[in-house]
Amino acid sequence: MSDRRWTYARRSSQVACLAIFLWLFLQTEYRGIDELPYPVSLLFRLDPLAALADFLAPGPFGWALLWPALLVLLLTALFGRFFCGWVCPLGTTLDGCGRLVGRGRRPFSPGWRRVKYSLLVLLIGAALFGVQLLGLFDPLAIFLRSLTLALYPAYNLALNGLFDFFYQQPVPLLSPLVNDAYPLFRDHLMAFYQPVFTLGLFTLLVFLGIVLLEKVEQRFWCKNLCPLGALLGLCSRYALVQRTPQTLCADCRQCDSLCRSGAVRDGRHRRSECLLCMDCVGFCPEERVRFGLRPGGNGPGVDLSRRGLLTAFASGVILAPAVRIGPVTAEQNPYLLRPPGAVAEAEFLQRCVRCAECMKVCIGRALHPAFLDAGPVGLWTPLLVPRIGYCEYNCTLCGQVCPTGAIERLDLPRKQKAVIGLAVFDKNRCLPFAKSTECLVCEEHCPTGEKAIVFEEREVLVDGELRRLKFPRVVDRLCIGCGICETVCPLEGASAIRVINEGESRRPRPLAAGDGYG
Amino acid sequence: MKTFDRRSLIRTTLQAAVVTAATGGLPVLDLLAMPAAAAELPPLAVRQGKEVDRLVRETIAALGGMGRFVKSGETVVVKPNIGWDRTVEQAANTHPQVVATLAELCLEAGAAKVKIFDRTCNDPRRCYTQSGVREAIERLDDRRVSLEHMDRRAYREMAIKGGKAFQNWEFYLPAIEADRYINVPIAKHHSISELTLAMKNTMGVIGGNRGRMHSEIAESLADINSVIHSDLTVIDATRILLANGPQGGRLEDVRTLDTLIASPDIVAADAYAATLFGLKPEQVPTIVAGARRGLGVMDLSRVRMV
Repeated sequence: MSDRRWTYARRSSQVACLAIFLWLFLQTEYRGIDELPYPVSLLFRLDPLAALADFLAPGPFGWALLWPALLVLLLTALFGRFFCGWVCPLGTTLDGCGRLVGRGRRPFSPGWRRVKYSLLVLLIGAALFGVQLLGLFDPLAIFLRSLTLALYPAYNLALNGLFDFFYQQPVPLLSPLVNDAYPLFRDHLMAFYQPVFTLGLFTLLVFLGIVLLEKVEQRFWCKNLCPLGALLGLCSRYALVQRTPQTLCADCRQCDSLCRSGAVRDGRHRRSECLLCMDCVGFCPEERVRFGLRPGGNGPGVDLSRRGLLTAFASGVILAPAVRIGPVTAEQNPYLLRPPGAVAEAEFLQRCVRCAECMKVCIGRALHPAFLDAGPVGLWTPLLVPRIGYCEYNCTLCGQVCPTGAIERLDLPRKQKAVIGLAVFDKNRCLPFAKSTECLVCEEHCPTGEKAIVFEEREVLVDGELRRLKFPRVVDRLCIGCGICETVCPLEGASAIRVINEGESRRPRPLAAGDGYG
Repeated sequence: MKTFDRRSLIRTTLQAAVVTAATGGLPVLDLLAMPAAAAELPPLAVRQGKEVDRLVRETIAALGGMGRFVKSGETVVVKPNIGWDRTVEQAANTHPQVVATLAELCLEAGAAKVKIFDRTCNDPRRCYTQSGVREAIERLDDRRVSLEHMDRRAYREMAIKGGKAFQNWEFYLPAIEADRYINVPIAKHHSISELTLAMKNTMGVIGGNRGRMHSEIAESLADINSVIHSDLTVIDATRILLANGPQGGRLEDVRTLDTLIASPDIVAADAYAATLFGLKPEQVPTIVAGARRGLGVMDLSRVRMV
């Protein structure tokens, strides 16, 4: 069929997959049921890079969560990089945005193709030696992170601004209409609270950067930089789906200039670069191009030299200890708090693929992406920032969505015992201590059945007058560091009670040495 | 809503300050408490029963029926305490059946609309669900009754005439604008205000940084209750929380009393509820402030038990 039917089929698949992922994204929220009813993190359970991160992290492989990713690898081995052309939501976004920003057709040096393989090998090398940075470059993580931290908040800001305007300015006819539509939007199409994230703008700039690369060359990211594309390319070298003709035809050569993935090079079609977009079936003037199942065939390999491969791997191996030269961040930064159920920090950094699912789902708006707070390799990992939001006592959502087990899935009784940190008073600012006035808002909100914040009544001399006051105190044994006290502290600016990571459940206890004695 | 220019606001504030200073300086002759004392004795109904729906109906009937408070075609706000992500047994939120039956009674009295909402402390979605109120209201299946999340846009800063702790605060417009306001708290222990009852429940319809009120909780609560008038107060004491309030969480802190208290006088209702905890009304500063500020009667010998 030398028509555009394949192209339409591919486009439909792209749109459908994008729609499914966007719908799952909207479902990544508490909607009255404690257990999320849909596999909202499906995107990452399909993600071979997430599987790779999990595989390289300590502990057994998470088969239960990540088997779909292995299925994707298997299907890629059989059919080639269909994922990139037909499924990947970042690829679809780039194809869609390309029309908006304008597509560059600058012939870019083919040497750039190698960058993605080098990057993948480098990342694997680093991960083997304990520094996992796959998530930073994982296209699916980039997609969901941009959506969660930047695009969705911006969308909500815009809509909220619109609804606020018509609420405050009664425009005849229009205002009642818009006001009536508000509940529907608020309950189904918008976030319950306006999402606010610490790295929103930075994440947006990275995303825009990748989109703008379309101006340089169509699918620049996918062709040259994407490590997932590289991994799938490696798997598809012996794919059964093959294109005929396998070489450029002497009388035409259109494939050379029109192919979006630049799969035809040096006159030959490369399965490892082909995204199976099927455009060439449509544009071939002679209607020669066919894709069909054909085992075997000796296509050209991935153009990565042994030297390049070794250099990349060695760089990764060197990078791993290099970025860990400094002191352990968790011990330096007492405010480095992780979600409940997070595994020990070293393993956490190896498992977390920075997908931002936990930040999206967090009902208390407590989780925010780290910049350098968690050390040089902790970029975009989730931090609990209690002044912005707290960990809801009866909620287990972040553990439910984490695709790689960086946040363990805890049942409610275990989660309510998981210690995130310890609340500590700043008596220089806390009202009863500093200003001799009543407060106890922290005690009121403390959620543990037997409160972890208690109070003692004492008489104090204020301006020569005895006053009876209630002084709050934290009971270390009961505090789980949920941070609601820090969120609700009525002082302006910094809270007078702050959660530090002392005593967190996940911290490995040193068996000996390093305690300062002997 | 009445608007103030700066001049009149300053004048009102100064007048209020003078009155406040004058009354505060004369503890024997409490001017503000006098009108309440002069009025006819407020009725107070207390009933007991295991079956919540019947209990509510009996208690309201004792006051002369919902028709005494709600007229045909009116918009009624039923304001429960559903501030916490806790279950019914944990006794941190108003019993859902109390809320649902009151809504039904309002409809039976001819209410055009019954709105139920609370500015919660935990996540509102979780509180509405976990408290059981969402399910109870959905079971009513009546379009005139709605359980709504607070609309963040609907808070307005308003002057508190004669306010002692605050001269102005943000209030929730749907609560201000409703024809009737029914205050439906649960009786609980609370460490800063001793107890949290009806006057404290009004904190669920104000905006702003509510924690600031804790420094002068009694006068603050009297302030906001002078703006939000409760036409009817129904205190849920089917089970009460004796310790670790107001959020609770431990069943050993809960005591079942199967009791409901109702009165058009918010202070009288709170005063009676205090006795369930073995406290005298004058031991609860909020109740004392409410009585002194003329919001109602705290002397239980001056109420008419019906």
